[in-house]
Amino acid sequence: MKIELIVSGSCPFCLEAEKVWRAAAADHGFEFSVVDIVQPEGAALAQRLNLQTVPALLIGGKLRAVGVQSPEEALTLLLPARQEAHDRMQQMGFAFSRDNRWFILAAQAYLMLAGLGLLMNGSFLSDNAARPAFLHLFTLGFMLFMIYGLASHMLPRFTGNPIREGAWPWLQMGLAHCGVIGYVVGYLAGRHTLIVVGAVLTWLSLATFTFRVWPVLWPEEA
Amino acid sequence: MHKRNRLFVSIALVYGLLGGLIAIVRLIDPSLIPGNVPRAHGHIMLLGFILMTIYGIALHVLPRFGGFPLYSEQMADWQLYLANAGLPLMIAGWLGWRDMLVMAGGVLTYGAIVLFGLNMILTVRAGGRGRALHVQ
Ligand code: HEM
Ligand code: HEM
Ligand code: HEM
Repeated sequence: MKIELIVSGSCPFCLEAEKVWRAAAADHGFEFSVVDIVQPEGAALAQRLNLQTVPALLIGGKLRAVGVQSPEEALTLLLPARQEAHDRMQQMGFAFSRDNRWFILAAQAYLMLAGLGLLMNGSFLSDNAARPAFLHLFTLGFMLFMIYGLASHMLPRFTGNPIREGAWPWLQMGLAHCGVIGYVVGYLAGRHTLIVVGAVLTWLSLATFTFRVWPVLWPEEA
Repeated sequence: MHKRNRLFVSIALVYGLLGGLIAIVRLIDPSLIPGNVPRAHGHIMLLGFILMTIYGIALHVLPRFGGFPLYSEQMADWQLYLANAGLPLMIAGWLGWRDMLVMAGGVLTYGAIVLFGLNMILTVRAGGRGRALHVQ
């Protein structure tokens, strides 16, 4: 839940209010932003709420207080929101889910493998088969797996929409591992068919990921 | 999450699928797609897939980490337009062996990078506009 403080540049108390609320929000893990009433966002909010006074405090988009609060008053005002955030956290899970943890862990393993390319090649720029192999250990093994793990964790939390779970993340992960390993081994062993199979499996894993996150980004209107 | 930021992430996914597809086609038969396909693929992946994912997520998350509103929503909108005008030109240039197109696209793409960089610096920097307005 978001805490917003509507302020104006000419108001002497606003800075004090900002200090109190920034600290309270940080202590209790709420998003906090300061909205200037002369900015378009601020003006729109003020009009919607029919606001006459700054500083004004919004919790979850609802007007909760005006003027400057003490830290104790701030805490009391935050109680219902803290309860709600707590319930939501349990529903969504605050820590990494098991699938995303495995994506991130695998990314680190691939990063270390990609690093071996330095030892084996002796330089970044060569023209042999090790170039696409180690390059893609980095771009697919590390970058793509990091995006898989982090985006699947963050996007549902940014949007409040669920991501497709169940067998899907494991299918995506299996395809990605088989794909990257097939692709890399294919280059190192000079097996063209294996390279192509690895490439196709990796692509299918990306397609699976897209299928999982699309409804997070563009939910069907209920 | 702002619609523009969701667009960034969605377009990134489309570029990722497209970049993978042209790499696969090239592996199967190098004569099917003309031009410098590896270079086009590399930049579709890095500028299209990775960078646009980062754009979408960073534009959402960095202002929130800082506790300030984004310095400029308009700059971020133009960043979306420039990035997506530039990359197709670069790809067309590489596939058609037209260096001038790559350069024109590169200038637009670079414009997006600069807008993003400035917007982020001005958002995150302590004493940036968000703060300065109330201290004055
Ligand atoms: C532990 C760190 C890293 C290691 C060990 C590593 C290793 C390698 C190797 C072995 C290659 C192939 C070089 C060749 O052409 O023979 C390569 C290429 C490349 N690496 Fe890295 N890399 C690392 C970090 C990074 C990072 C952080 C990035 C970018 C974010 C990056 C981007 C690239 C790119 C774009 C290429 C392709 C260059 C080309 O096409 O010539 N690498 N890297
Ligand atoms: C579906 C997944 C992918 C497949 C099948 C694939 C395949 C390929 C192939 C076949 C090449 C040409 C290698 C050569 O002959 O030199 C290549 C080059 C390259 N790929 Fe990928 N790739 C994939 C994903 C990625 C990703 C996610 C990135 C970056 C994040 C990436 C970055 C690059 C780069 C930088 C090059 C070198 C381009 C150049 O030499 O100018 N690739 N890839
Ligand atoms: C404004 C944006 C960009 C422009 C205009 C641009 C342009 C170019 C050009 C013209 C080349 C060919 C150089 C040559 O002929 O040797 C190239 C190569 C390359 N660029 Fe970019 N690029 C941009 C952004 C990026 C980014 C963001 C990355 C990585 C994250 C990247 C990675 C590479 C790699 C890996 C190569 C291949 C180098 C090699 O094969 O030796 N580029 N780029």
